[in-house]
Amino acid sequence: MPSTFTLQSLALRNLKRKPLRTLVLITSIGLLVSAFVFVLSFVRRVDSAVRTASDRLGADVIVVPSGSRGAAEDILLENRVKSFYMDKSLIDRVRQIKGVDALTSQTYLVSITGQCCDVPETVVVAFNQDTDFIIKPWLQKAIGRPLHKGEAIVGSESSLNISLGLTEVDSHLFGNMFKMVGVLEKTGSGLDTAIFIDESNIDDILRKGKTSLKKDQISIIFVKVKKGVDPSKVAGDIGDSIVEVNAVARKDIGRNILGTLKELNRIFFVTVVLASILSIFLVWAVFSAITNERAWEIGIMRAVGAREVHVSRLFLFEVISIGVAGSIVGVACGTAVAVMLAKNFMLLKKVSTDLALVERAVIALISLLAGTGICVAGALFPIRRLKKMEPLLAIRKD
Amino acid sequence: MAQIELAEIEKIFRVGDQTITAVSATSLAIEKGDFVSIVGHSGSGKTTLLSMIGGIISPTSGKVLFEGNDIFSLNDDALSSYRNLKVGFMFQFASLLPVLTAQENLLLPGLFGPAGRAADWKKAAELLDTVGLGEKIHAYPSQLSGGQQRRVAIARALMNDPELILADEPTGDLDEETENEIMDLLRSYNRENNSTFVFITHNRDLASHAKRQLMMHHGSIREQ
Repeated sequence: MPSTFTLQSLALRNLKRKPLRTLVLITSIGLLVSAFVFVLSFVRRVDSAVRTASDRLGADVIVVPSGSRGAAEDILLENRVKSFYMDKSLIDRVRQIKGVDALTSQTYLVSITGQCCDVPETVVVAFNQDTDFIIKPWLQKAIGRPLHKGEAIVGSESSLNISLGLTEVDSHLFGNMFKMVGVLEKTGSGLDTAIFIDESNIDDILRKGKTSLKKDQISIIFVKVKKGVDPSKVAGDIGDSIVEVNAVARKDIGRNILGTLKELNRIFFVTVVLASILSIFLVWAVFSAITNERAWEIGIMRAVGAREVHVSRLFLFEVISIGVAGSIVGVACGTAVAVMLAKNFMLLKKVSTDLALVERAVIALISLLAGTGICVAGALFPIRRLKKMEPLLAIRKD
Repeated sequence: MAQIELAEIEKIFRVGDQTITAVSATSLAIEKGDFVSIVGHSGSGKTTLLSMIGGIISPTSGKVLFEGNDIFSLNDDALSSYRNLKVGFMFQFASLLPVLTAQENLLLPGLFGPAGRAADWKKAAELLDTVGLGEKIHAYPSQLSGGQQRRVAIARALMNDPELILADEPTGDLDEETENEIMDLLRSYNRENNSTFVFITHNRDLASHAKRQLMMHHGSIREQ
């Protein structure tokens, strides 16, 4: 007995009889879905990186010198190397603000190869281990004890730059020898590329004079607010009371990046919508040609008993096969392009987090549904017109 | 009650601004088991009349009754079922699907039948054997001559054991010997199954084989 003969096998044979046309349709849908996957991956990655970084900071409000908010976000979210300073006495003034529960400060120093340090240009973070609630949880996981004077621990991505694995190494930082005692886990924030030392090392660093930092200066204050207090309110009060600083609530950290992303989103959205409409027209044109060309065949099928639903099923199976094949190609190409081009986009190069497998799977699924849906949408009208045609008229259409 | 009754059926086609009356106010009754021929010039409305009986084009006015039921008052499912189970239609041109083999073309009506699948491979092979194409069951239409394609289409019309066989020039491009073989086959099918057979032909000799002969002229039909 020959192989199975069903509507599905008939649909596949119909697709095979015009391989070039089928290939062109699959390629077109593939290109659209590639763009779709790339855009979704890009937007999702930047958005999730910014949100993850601000969520993992562990502070409700950050306080930086007036005019340095952008620089602070560059360090915290985008791994950029910058420094900015304010007077240490501001810590006490911030502490006085109503609603502040706890606070800690950090000082950012910039290491430059050759001039002060063995390591490539990076941010060196000096932090107060007595008050800290930002680094401590990660430090505990990494080495299970506080850092001693003359010791440093590096962020997960900085470890690659200075080739620090399991072996402890010594490095010169600002004229002082530091023992690198470990690597912090990946936090998803910009501080993953930084090197961390205890604040007690600052006096020695200042004595060597290899940094622009002056005595009793700090870069940033992290604030935790009391339970039930609105961080935005506290940030507003700090900003109103202390003119020398900018205070930013956690939910507003990265707002500039997210704002830029929103603009990009709009451009992407319009581009994808236009490309989708174009694809619908393409599928419509091709399927109009296909249904015209095969009208007499459908007329014959109807004459021997095919119902409207059989005609719909036959063509839908063809169009869904094209949509699914094109979408699978598109998801594969789009993901590959997103991964490769990430290295060329400054914004993506700077953010630490990559997409999780689940997120990639969701993007793939959405793109697959969109690609197939666009195919079906384009073919619906020609299919409907043909199935409604009386068999003799369909046969004579040829 | 006649098996088929045409009650004042009329078919008007609109082509641009023009209207063409293909069949005008025609009434006719055909009994079960009849063997009927219809002759007439090209454009006299024979194919349109046969197509309305077969349910593949609706009349502009009037009714086509099969066993007392107006087939064009049926919904799509029921009308399709009528075409699938009650009627075997032979077109005047090669009407095979090019992507299917001869055997699969015969199985096509089964795909749309109550079982919803093409199952009776053996019967398809036997019918092809009957029309002299036992060796060609796996051949595609492009590998068959025009006459062979016509014979496959004839076999397909018999596949679902129809009660009514409608044939539009069934032996049009067959040689005389094959034409006689096919007509013998259809006559014996008509006799053995008491099925009704209505065919269109230009060939008056062929028409004379029918028990009842009708003639169409300018959309109207009359007994000869």
